[in-house]
Amino acid sequence: MGVIEHPPIIHLPWSWTPDHVTHTWFVMIILAALAFAASRKVALVPRGVQNLMEVVLEQFVTLIDDVMGPEGRRYLPLIATLGLFIFASNLIGIVPGTAGPTANLNTTAACALIVFFTYHAIGIRKQGLGRYLKHFMGPVPALAPLMVPIELISHLARPLSLTLRLFGNMVGGHILLAIIFFLMGFNGLIGWALSGSAAGAVVGGLGGVIMIVFTVGFLYPLKLLVALLQAFIFVMLTMLYIGGAIEEAEHAEHHSPPASGHH
Amino acid sequence: MRRTLMLVMLSIVGAPALAHAAEGAASAAGGGWIGPFAVIAAGLGMAIAAGLCGLGQGRAVASAVDAMARQPGAAARIQTAMIIGLALIESLAIYVLVVAMILLFVQPIK
Repeated sequence: MGVIEHPPIIHLPWSWTPDHVTHTWFVMIILAALAFAASRKVALVPRGVQNLMEVVLEQFVTLIDDVMGPEGRRYLPLIATLGLFIFASNLIGIVPGTAGPTANLNTTAACALIVFFTYHAIGIRKQGLGRYLKHFMGPVPALAPLMVPIELISHLARPLSLTLRLFGNMVGGHILLAIIFFLMGFNGLIGWALSGSAAGAVVGGLGGVIMIVFTVGFLYPLKLLVALLQAFIFVMLTMLYIGGAIEEAEHAEHHSPPASGHH
Repeated sequence: MRRTLMLVMLSIVGAPALAHAAEGAASAAGGGWIGPFAVIAAGLGMAIAAGLCGLGQGRAVASAVDAMARQPGAAARIQTAMIIGLALIESLAIYVLVVAMILLFVQPIK
Protein backbone atom coordinates (compact mmCIF):
# COMPACT_ATOMS: atom_id res chain seq x y z
CA MET A 1 0.00 0.00 0.00
CA GLY A 2 3.04 2.21 -0.14
CA VAL A 3 1.87 4.03 -3.27
CA ILE A 4 -1.19 5.62 -1.77
CA GLU A 5 -0.01 6.18 1.78
CA HIS A 6 0.53 9.72 2.89
CA PRO A 7 2.01 11.19 6.08
CA PRO A 8 -0.92 12.15 8.32
CA ILE A 9 -1.35 15.62 9.76
CA ILE A 10 -1.21 14.51 13.38
CA HIS A 11 2.09 12.65 13.55
CA LEU A 12 4.11 12.21 16.73
CA PRO A 13 7.87 12.50 16.31
CA TRP A 14 8.62 9.13 17.93
CA SER A 15 7.69 5.89 16.25
CA TRP A 16 6.22 3.73 18.99
CA THR A 17 2.71 5.17 18.66
CA PRO A 18 1.21 4.32 15.28
CA ASP A 19 -0.78 7.05 13.57
CA HIS A 20 -4.16 5.41 14.05
CA VAL A 21 -3.50 5.30 17.79
CA THR A 22 -2.82 9.05 17.93
CA HIS A 23 -6.01 9.64 15.97
CA THR A 24 -7.89 7.38 18.38
CA TRP A 25 -6.62 9.60 21.22
CA PHE A 26 -7.80 12.61 19.25
CA VAL A 27 -11.28 11.12 18.90
CA MET A 28 -11.29 10.30 22.62
CA ILE A 29 -10.36 13.88 23.48
CA ILE A 30 -13.16 15.23 21.27
CA LEU A 31 -15.77 12.88 22.75
CA ALA A 32 -14.63 13.51 26.33
CA ALA A 33 -14.74 17.29 25.75
CA LEU A 34 -18.26 16.97 24.32
CA ALA A 35 -19.42 14.90 27.27
CA PHE A 36 -17.80 17.32 29.74
CA ALA A 37 -19.35 20.36 28.04
CA ALA A 38 -22.75 18.66 27.99
CA SER A 39 -22.75 17.64 31.65
CA ARG A 40 -20.96 20.62 33.22
CA LYS A 41 -24.13 22.55 34.01
CA VAL A 42 -27.03 20.14 33.73
CA ALA A 43 -30.26 22.09 33.37
CA LEU A 44 -33.83 20.87 33.39
CA VAL A 45 -34.46 22.74 30.14
CA PRO A 46 -31.40 21.77 28.09
CA ARG A 47 -29.57 24.27 25.92
CA GLY A 48 -26.61 24.13 23.60
CA VAL A 49 -24.33 21.12 23.86
CA GLN A 50 -26.49 19.40 26.46
CA ASN A 51 -29.46 19.66 24.11
CA LEU A 52 -27.46 18.12 21.26
CA MET A 53 -26.19 15.22 23.33
CA GLU A 54 -29.64 14.56 24.76
CA VAL A 55 -31.09 14.36 21.24
CA VAL A 56 -28.36 11.93 20.19
CA LEU A 57 -28.80 9.74 23.26
CA GLU A 58 -32.57 9.74 22.88
CA GLN A 59 -32.09 8.30 19.41
CA PHE A 60 -30.02 5.51 20.96
CA VAL A 61 -32.67 4.87 23.63
CA THR A 62 -35.50 4.63 21.08
CA LEU A 63 -33.39 2.28 18.96
CA ILE A 64 -32.67 0.08 21.98
CA ASP A 65 -36.35 0.04 22.99
CA ASP A 66 -37.32 -0.96 19.47
CA VAL A 67 -34.79 -3.74 19.09
CA MET A 68 -34.15 -5.15 22.58
CA GLY A 69 -37.19 -4.10 24.58
CA PRO A 70 -37.08 -2.51 28.03
CA GLU A 71 -34.54 -5.12 29.16
CA GLY A 72 -31.90 -3.51 26.96
CA ARG A 73 -31.58 -0.10 28.65
CA ARG A 74 -28.94 -1.53 31.00
CA TYR A 75 -26.55 -1.77 28.06
CA LEU A 76 -27.02 1.82 26.85
CA PRO A 77 -23.52 2.94 28.00
CA LEU A 78 -21.74 0.22 26.03
CA ILE A 79 -23.86 0.63 22.90
CA ALA A 80 -23.87 4.43 22.83
CA THR A 81 -20.12 4.59 23.49
CA LEU A 82 -19.38 2.18 20.66
CA GLY A 83 -21.70 4.05 18.31
CA LEU A 84 -20.33 7.52 19.12
CA PHE A 85 -16.70 6.35 18.94
CA ILE A 86 -17.13 4.60 15.61
CA PHE A 87 -19.12 7.45 14.10
CA ALA A 88 -16.57 10.06 15.21
CA SER A 89 -13.71 7.89 13.94
CA ASN A 90 -15.40 7.45 10.57
CA LEU A 91 -15.95 11.20 10.30
CA ILE A 92 -12.33 11.96 11.15
CA GLY A 93 -11.17 9.49 8.53
CA ILE A 94 -12.96 11.48 5.81
CA VAL A 95 -10.73 14.54 6.29
CA PRO A 96 -7.84 14.28 3.80
CA GLY A 97 -4.50 13.90 5.51
CA THR A 98 -5.71 11.98 8.54
CA ALA A 99 -5.41 8.30 9.34
CA GLY A 100 -8.90 7.30 10.39
CA PRO A 101 -8.87 4.92 13.36
CA THR A 102 -11.56 2.70 11.83
CA ALA A 103 -9.56 2.34 8.62
CA ASN A 104 -7.14 0.16 10.58
CA LEU A 105 -7.83 -3.49 11.26
CA ASN A 106 -6.64 -3.28 14.88
CA THR A 107 -9.23 -0.69 15.94
CA THR A 108 -12.18 -2.47 14.37
CA ALA A 109 -11.01 -5.84 15.70
CA ALA A 110 -10.81 -4.34 19.20
CA CYS A 111 -14.39 -3.05 18.97
CA ALA A 112 -15.67 -6.37 17.59
CA LEU A 113 -13.89 -8.40 20.29
CA ILE A 114 -15.41 -6.19 22.99
CA VAL A 115 -18.86 -6.97 21.55
CA PHE A 116 -18.05 -10.70 21.24
CA PHE A 117 -16.93 -11.18 24.85
CA THR A 118 -19.63 -8.88 26.20
CA TYR A 119 -22.58 -10.69 24.72
CA HIS A 120 -21.25 -14.06 25.80
CA ALA A 121 -20.71 -12.71 29.31
CA ILE A 122 -24.24 -11.30 29.38
CA GLY A 123 -25.68 -14.62 28.22
CA ILE A 124 -23.71 -16.58 30.82
CA ARG A 125 -24.65 -14.17 33.59
CA LYS A 126 -28.33 -14.29 32.61
CA GLN A 127 -28.70 -18.06 32.60
CA GLY A 128 -25.57 -19.69 33.99
CA LEU A 129 -22.73 -21.39 32.17
CA GLY A 130 -24.28 -24.84 31.73
CA ARG A 131 -27.58 -23.57 30.44
CA TYR A 132 -25.92 -21.14 28.08
CA LEU A 133 -23.70 -23.86 26.64
CA LYS A 134 -26.75 -26.07 26.21
CA HIS A 135 -28.06 -23.66 23.57
CA PHE A 136 -25.12 -24.59 21.39
CA MET A 137 -26.43 -28.16 21.17
CA GLY A 138 -29.63 -27.35 19.33
CA PRO A 139 -33.18 -28.42 20.16
CA VAL A 140 -32.68 -32.21 19.84
CA PRO A 141 -29.84 -33.98 21.72
CA ALA A 142 -29.35 -36.43 18.87
CA LEU A 143 -28.39 -33.58 16.55
CA ALA A 144 -25.74 -32.21 18.93
CA PRO A 145 -22.68 -33.50 16.99
CA LEU A 146 -24.03 -31.66 13.95
CA MET A 147 -25.19 -28.50 15.70
CA VAL A 148 -22.17 -27.78 17.90
CA PRO A 149 -19.66 -27.16 15.08
CA ILE A 150 -22.19 -25.10 13.13
CA GLU A 151 -23.03 -22.96 16.16
CA LEU A 152 -19.35 -22.55 17.04
CA ILE A 153 -18.49 -21.41 13.52
CA SER A 154 -21.44 -19.04 13.32
CA HIS A 155 -20.55 -17.46 16.65
CA LEU A 156 -16.88 -17.16 15.71
CA ALA A 157 -17.83 -15.60 12.37
CA ARG A 158 -19.62 -12.74 14.10
CA PRO A 159 -16.57 -10.78 15.31
CA LEU A 160 -14.83 -11.55 12.02
CA SER A 161 -17.67 -10.09 9.97
CA LEU A 162 -18.06 -7.09 12.31
CA THR A 163 -14.33 -6.37 11.96
CA LEU A 164 -14.04 -6.81 8.23
CA ARG A 165 -17.26 -4.99 7.34
CA LEU A 166 -16.28 -1.76 9.08
CA PHE A 167 -12.64 -1.98 8.00
CA GLY A 168 -13.44 -2.84 4.38
CA ASN A 169 -16.01 -0.10 3.97
CA MET A 170 -13.72 2.55 5.40
CA VAL A 171 -10.58 1.47 3.55
CA GLY A 172 -12.44 1.02 0.28
CA GLY A 173 -13.68 4.60 0.46
CA HIS A 174 -10.22 5.88 1.37
CA ILE A 175 -8.58 4.07 -1.54
CA LEU A 176 -11.21 5.47 -3.91
CA LEU A 177 -10.58 9.01 -2.66
CA ALA A 178 -6.81 8.53 -2.86
CA ILE A 179 -7.04 7.35 -6.46
CA ILE A 180 -9.25 10.32 -7.37
CA PHE A 181 -6.80 12.73 -5.75
CA PHE A 182 -3.89 11.16 -7.61
CA LEU A 183 -5.80 11.48 -10.88
CA MET A 184 -6.29 15.16 -10.13
CA GLY A 185 -2.74 15.89 -8.93
CA PHE A 186 0.24 17.54 -10.59
CA ASN A 187 1.08 14.24 -12.27
CA GLY A 188 -2.50 13.93 -13.49
CA LEU A 189 -5.17 16.21 -14.83
CA ILE A 190 -3.95 19.45 -13.25
CA GLY A 191 -0.42 18.80 -14.48
CA TRP A 192 -1.84 18.13 -17.91
CA ALA A 193 -3.80 21.39 -17.83
CA LEU A 194 -0.65 23.31 -16.85
CA SER A 195 1.59 21.57 -19.36
CA GLY A 196 1.20 24.35 -21.95
CA SER A 197 -0.29 22.50 -24.88
CA ALA A 198 -3.75 23.63 -25.98
CA ALA A 199 -5.28 20.15 -26.06
CA GLY A 200 -3.85 19.39 -22.63
CA ALA A 201 -5.31 22.61 -21.25
CA VAL A 202 -8.75 21.82 -22.66
CA VAL A 203 -8.88 18.14 -21.71
CA GLY A 204 -7.08 18.54 -18.38
CA GLY A 205 -9.06 21.61 -17.37
CA LEU A 206 -12.41 20.08 -18.30
CA GLY A 207 -11.51 16.77 -16.71
CA GLY A 208 -10.32 18.50 -13.57
CA VAL A 209 -13.52 20.48 -13.22
CA ILE A 210 -15.63 17.36 -13.79
CA MET A 211 -13.55 15.43 -11.24
CA ILE A 212 -13.85 18.16 -8.61
CA VAL A 213 -17.62 18.45 -9.09
CA PHE A 214 -17.92 14.65 -8.93
CA THR A 215 -15.84 14.42 -5.77
CA VAL A 216 -17.46 17.28 -3.87
CA GLY A 217 -20.98 16.67 -5.11
CA PHE A 218 -21.15 12.88 -5.03
CA LEU A 219 -18.24 11.12 -3.32
CA TYR A 220 -18.13 13.18 -0.13
CA PRO A 221 -21.89 12.97 0.55
CA LEU A 222 -21.64 9.23 -0.16
CA LYS A 223 -18.77 8.86 2.32
CA LEU A 224 -20.71 10.83 4.95
CA LEU A 225 -23.67 8.46 4.41
CA VAL A 226 -21.41 5.41 4.65
CA ALA A 227 -19.83 6.73 7.86
CA LEU A 228 -23.26 7.12 9.47
CA LEU A 229 -24.57 3.84 8.05
CA GLN A 230 -21.62 1.71 9.16
CA ALA A 231 -21.75 3.08 12.71
CA PHE A 232 -25.51 2.39 12.73
CA ILE A 233 -25.02 -1.16 11.46
CA PHE A 234 -22.29 -1.93 13.99
CA VAL A 235 -24.53 -0.69 16.82
CA MET A 236 -27.55 -2.50 15.39
CA LEU A 237 -25.74 -5.84 15.19
CA THR A 238 -24.37 -5.35 18.71
CA MET A 239 -27.92 -4.84 19.94
CA LEU A 240 -29.12 -7.91 18.03
CA TYR A 241 -26.37 -10.10 19.50
CA ILE A 242 -26.96 -8.93 23.08
CA GLY A 243 -30.71 -9.18 22.53
CA GLY A 244 -30.23 -12.72 21.27
CA ALA A 245 -28.36 -13.70 24.43
CA ILE A 246 -31.08 -12.14 26.63
CA GLU A 247 -33.90 -13.68 24.60
CA GLU A 248 -32.41 -17.13 24.86
CA ALA A 249 -32.49 -16.66 28.61
CA GLU A 250 -36.17 -15.73 28.56
CA HIS A 251 -36.94 -18.67 26.30
CA ALA A 252 -35.13 -21.00 28.66
CA GLU A 253 -37.13 -19.68 31.59
CA HIS A 254 -40.35 -20.16 29.65
CA HIS A 255 -39.46 -23.68 28.69
CA SER A 256 -38.04 -24.82 32.02
CA PRO A 257 -41.33 -25.69 33.75
CA PRO A 258 -42.30 -28.87 31.94
CA ALA A 259 -46.05 -28.54 32.45
CA SER A 260 -46.48 -24.96 31.27
CA GLY A 261 -48.83 -26.10 28.53
CA HIS A 262 -48.10 -23.27 26.10
CA HIS A 263 -47.33 -25.47 23.15
CA MET B 1 -20.18 -16.68 -28.91
CA ARG B 2 -19.51 -18.87 -25.92
CA ARG B 3 -16.37 -20.26 -27.51
CA THR B 4 -15.07 -16.76 -28.20
CA LEU B 5 -15.75 -15.80 -24.62
CA MET B 6 -13.88 -18.87 -23.35
CA LEU B 7 -10.98 -18.07 -25.65
CA VAL B 8 -10.80 -14.46 -24.41
CA MET B 9 -10.95 -15.59 -20.78
CA LEU B 10 -8.25 -18.20 -21.34
CA SER B 11 -6.00 -15.73 -23.08
CA ILE B 12 -6.47 -13.19 -20.28
CA VAL B 13 -5.75 -15.73 -17.58
CA GLY B 14 -2.92 -17.34 -19.48
CA ALA B 15 -1.23 -14.15 -20.64
CA PRO B 16 0.98 -13.65 -17.57
CA ALA B 17 2.29 -17.20 -17.87
CA LEU B 18 3.26 -16.62 -21.50
CA ALA B 19 4.74 -13.25 -20.67
CA HIS B 20 6.67 -14.77 -17.84
CA ALA B 21 7.91 -17.56 -20.07
CA ALA B 22 9.16 -15.02 -22.59
CA GLU B 23 10.68 -12.92 -19.85
CA GLY B 24 12.17 -15.96 -18.17
CA ALA B 25 13.83 -16.91 -21.44
CA ALA B 26 15.37 -13.44 -21.58
CA SER B 27 16.47 -13.23 -17.96
CA ALA B 28 16.57 -16.32 -15.79
CA ALA B 29 16.01 -14.23 -12.67
CA GLY B 30 13.09 -16.36 -11.45
CA GLY B 31 10.68 -15.62 -8.61
CA GLY B 32 7.72 -13.28 -8.51
CA TRP B 33 5.74 -15.10 -11.17
CA ILE B 34 2.64 -15.14 -8.97
CA GLY B 35 2.32 -11.34 -8.96
CA PRO B 36 0.51 -10.95 -12.31
CA PHE B 37 -1.84 -13.79 -11.43
CA ALA B 38 -2.58 -12.06 -8.11
CA VAL B 39 -3.55 -8.86 -9.93
CA ILE B 40 -5.86 -10.77 -12.29
CA ALA B 41 -7.38 -12.73 -9.42
CA ALA B 42 -8.04 -9.52 -7.50
CA GLY B 43 -9.70 -7.85 -10.46
CA LEU B 44 -11.79 -10.83 -11.58
CA GLY B 45 -12.80 -11.72 -8.03
CA MET B 46 -13.85 -8.17 -7.24
CA ALA B 47 -15.82 -8.00 -10.50
CA ILE B 48 -17.71 -11.23 -9.80
CA ALA B 49 -18.34 -10.26 -6.18
CA ALA B 50 -19.57 -6.77 -7.08
CA GLY B 51 -21.88 -8.06 -9.80
CA LEU B 52 -23.48 -10.79 -7.73
CA CYS B 53 -23.67 -8.55 -4.66
CA GLY B 54 -25.48 -5.97 -6.80
CA LEU B 55 -27.94 -8.64 -7.95
CA GLY B 56 -28.65 -9.76 -4.40
CA GLN B 57 -28.99 -6.27 -3.01
CA GLY B 58 -31.23 -5.31 -5.91
CA ARG B 59 -33.60 -8.15 -5.13
CA ALA B 60 -33.64 -7.23 -1.44
CA VAL B 61 -34.29 -3.53 -2.09
CA ALA B 62 -36.95 -4.33 -4.70
CA SER B 63 -39.01 -6.44 -2.35
CA ALA B 64 -38.48 -4.00 0.53
CA VAL B 65 -39.73 -1.07 -1.57
CA ASP B 66 -42.63 -3.21 -2.72
CA ALA B 67 -43.56 -3.95 0.88
CA MET B 68 -43.18 -0.28 1.85
CA ALA B 69 -45.50 0.76 -0.98
CA ARG B 70 -48.11 -1.74 0.13
CA GLN B 71 -47.88 -0.88 3.81
CA PRO B 72 -46.60 2.65 4.35
CA GLY B 73 -47.34 2.38 8.05
CA ALA B 74 -44.65 -0.26 8.53
CA ALA B 75 -42.08 1.63 6.44
CA ALA B 76 -39.73 2.40 9.34
CA ARG B 77 -39.42 -1.21 10.52
CA ILE B 78 -39.07 -2.51 6.95
CA GLN B 79 -36.34 0.03 6.33
CA THR B 80 -34.41 -1.05 9.43
CA ALA B 81 -34.65 -4.70 8.45
CA MET B 82 -33.63 -3.83 4.90
CA ILE B 83 -30.55 -1.93 6.05
CA ILE B 84 -29.43 -4.81 8.26
CA GLY B 85 -29.95 -7.28 5.43
CA LEU B 86 -28.09 -5.07 2.99
CA ALA B 87 -25.18 -4.84 5.42
CA LEU B 88 -25.05 -8.61 5.77
CA ILE B 89 -25.11 -9.08 1.98
CA GLU B 90 -22.59 -6.35 1.43
CA SER B 91 -20.16 -7.85 3.91
CA LEU B 92 -19.66 -10.78 1.51
CA ALA B 93 -18.42 -8.41 -1.17
CA ILE B 94 -16.33 -6.66 1.47
CA TYR B 95 -14.61 -9.98 2.25
CA VAL B 96 -13.60 -10.21 -1.40
CA LEU B 97 -12.37 -6.61 -1.26
CA VAL B 98 -10.19 -7.45 1.74
CA VAL B 99 -8.85 -10.56 0.00
CA ALA B 100 -8.14 -8.49 -3.12
CA MET B 101 -6.30 -5.89 -1.04
CA ILE B 102 -4.26 -8.64 0.63
CA LEU B 103 -3.39 -10.07 -2.80
CA LEU B 104 -2.42 -6.65 -4.15
CA PHE B 105 -0.66 -4.96 -1.25
CA VAL B 106 0.46 -7.59 1.26
CA GLN B 107 1.31 -10.37 -1.23
CA PRO B 108 1.68 -13.23 1.24
CA ILE B 109 2.68 -15.72 -1.51
CA LYS B 110 5.57 -14.53 -3.58
